[in-house]
Amino acid sequence: MSRLRKVNWAPYLLILPSFLYLLAFFGWPMIRSLQLAVQRDSQILPIYAEPNQESVVVGKLERGTFVTVLDVIREEKSGAAGGLLSRPQFWLKVSGLTPDGDEVVGWAERGNVFVQDASRSDTGEVVEKEVPVYAEPNGQSEVLGTLPRGADVKIVSWSEQGARVEAEGLLSKPAQWIEVRATDADGNAISGWVQRGPVFVEDATISARGRVASGEGAREWTLDYIKRMVRDRNFKKALTTTLILIVLILPLQFTLAIVMALVLQARPRFTTLFLYIYSIPLGISDLAAGLVWYSIFTQKGFLNSFLQELGLIDKPFIFISNEHKHWIIVAIVLAEVWRATSIVMVIVVSGLQAIPLELLESAELFGANLRQRLWHVILPLLKPSLQVALILRTILAFQVFAVVVAISGGEVVTVLANETYRWYDIGGYNNPHVAAAYAGFIMLISLSVAVIYLRTVRSQEEKVAKP
Amino acid sequence: MTAGTQTQTYVLDKASKRAWRRRQLRRAGVHVLAVLIALWILIPIWLIATMAFSTPQDVRAYPKQIAPTPLSTDTMEFFLNAEGILPATRNSIMVALITLVLSTAISAPTGYAISRYLFPGRDAFRLGILAVRAFPIVILAVPLAEQFRDWNMYDKIYSLALMHTALTLPTTILVIASVFASVPKELEEAAKVFGSSPFQAFMRVVIPLALPGIAASAIFTFVMSWNEVFAAILLTLENRTLPALILYTLDKSSDPFKFAGGFFMLVPSLIFIFMVRRYLFNMWGQITK
Repeated sequence: MSRLRKVNWAPYLLILPSFLYLLAFFGWPMIRSLQLAVQRDSQILPIYAEPNQESVVVGKLERGTFVTVLDVIREEKSGAAGGLLSRPQFWLKVSGLTPDGDEVVGWAERGNVFVQDASRSDTGEVVEKEVPVYAEPNGQSEVLGTLPRGADVKIVSWSEQGARVEAEGLLSKPAQWIEVRATDADGNAISGWVQRGPVFVEDATISARGRVASGEGAREWTLDYIKRMVRDRNFKKALTTTLILIVLILPLQFTLAIVMALVLQARPRFTTLFLYIYSIPLGISDLAAGLVWYSIFTQKGFLNSFLQELGLIDKPFIFISNEHKHWIIVAIVLAEVWRATSIVMVIVVSGLQAIPLELLESAELFGANLRQRLWHVILPLLKPSLQVALILRTILAFQVFAVVVAISGGEVVTVLANETYRWYDIGGYNNPHVAAAYAGFIMLISLSVAVIYLRTVRSQEEKVAKP
Repeated sequence: MTAGTQTQTYVLDKASKRAWRRRQLRRAGVHVLAVLIALWILIPIWLIATMAFSTPQDVRAYPKQIAPTPLSTDTMEFFLNAEGILPATRNSIMVALITLVLSTAISAPTGYAISRYLFPGRDAFRLGILAVRAFPIVILAVPLAEQFRDWNMYDKIYSLALMHTALTLPTTILVIASVFASVPKELEEAAKVFGSSPFQAFMRVVIPLALPGIAASAIFTFVMSWNEVFAAILLTLENRTLPALILYTLDKSSDPFKFAGGFFMLVPSLIFIFMVRRYLFNMWGQITK
């Protein structure tokens, strides 16, 4: 036996796939998430105090930031460079939020800010030498003639091609084609398609909303996103609500789960049927549970119908509203208790099964009543199962999401996970960095709660062991 | 039945009639409690089903009836015919099926290794899986979505399935390990004694015995993926899964749509939980060990 046994590699080979998979999908994203929260890898647009590049930079806006356009000025540029005629330059006075959430107002060049619904005037001017006019709005079609520099064109229609929403939610610049009527180099009237670039068209109006489209590349460590998260108007609200929900849900859930398990332990008639019914919520999604309880608590819902039939109210009471946040919380708590108690129950039941029957019987024999048996025999023996369930449920409770959105719409009452989603959502704030900061924050508090639990448990055990 | 005999023994055993009556009372109490808890779980399901099978007019009516009269499939049809619902349902099923196959295929060998071999690092690995099981999904979804964008895998059915596989893997591993553990080792060894190779013993003895349990675990994996909404809504845009689509359109949708949607999402869970009921404790009991 003292001889070293040959290492059996079989189990390692068998666990290898899942080990690698978990590493790739848990280890790596976790690091990446923290990196996203504290590293800027984007483009930053300087905002100037005056509409010229020599003036003071009053702030910086990140690519993708929404801005409000306050003013537009036109600046003639004497640019012989690049063979261009004087192509006027535009400056926009914009207001937007810096990466850490401060408001900045100042000037930016038009080219760096994408304004989606700018309307354009119906005349243009050719600013390059010999611009070809095509029969179709693409460069492969027949060339009908050329336009000389300086020619005025009358715009008939526009065609935008290849405009698409990029991953970041920005419109990539489309290839714009203009159908024009003009006089060509030989003095003949011509009509056809030209590309927008060589023909300068002034914006007749500019919409008040825009988005930063480009800037100087920046890759640096930053606390901006974390600051932005903490300063976010919903941060405190979301954190408080999440904590309130945990404090309300967990005790209810555990009490009910223990009662359910004890009822099953007492083996009533049709135990299997009851067991099945009690297990149904295991398969119900949080979204479905939220919608179920929404049907009860909504204005024309079952609860109001019930109260009205009983004659307790004469018109529906609006539970889900800005003024009755506590009722929304009640609905969410009930939905979560309804849905997730079964998970705790199953853990408690398997914990109960591990308790030797003789122990319970002898306690009963010695005259311990139900309460005494519960406090002095059952609960202490259940402790390990309850601890696991508690840690599991607390961590999951920090991620409560769909129930809240289904019941409250996610505006009036919001939670941390919902904020993560809102910051990530392309139709929403569309800022993965702040979303990652939120996600990291959720992980941090769930981990610390788990550690605190384990510590408390250990110190209690030591206390018991010492005297 | 066991309960009945138990009480009877007590009657025969001891004369104390008082104790017997108290016992009967307590048993009645247990039954009342059992029924109350069952109602607490069943009534909300009944209510949403009522909504799903009432006419849209009845759904909007107030006060509401507590049974669907007249019975109508109009509300369900309205929901199913709403834009995007059928493709989203197809997406959900596809994601759940890919997840089921991947997750089961990857976890089966691991489950077998954990249940059959004692090897250095086994406990650490088990503990790691438990820790990962409790891991916040929220933190995975954001960076993975970003990564998938970089790799042009964003908004794809298979990328969401990869994510769901990761989410379900820890549970599936633990469940399959317990399934294999319930197959007596002696049977496998007996087969070897009678001349089977280890592989034959595995294929002919272990697999047939473990198959129902593995099927139950696969069904459960399906349900987990079908239900998952946070990762789904972050990782998809055009190709929404059903829960992601419903959640996304929530603020624009009418009550009949919401109720029918809630019921529609609930149905597979009811069926599947019924199918795997025998294995539920095998599955969930595992987390404590």
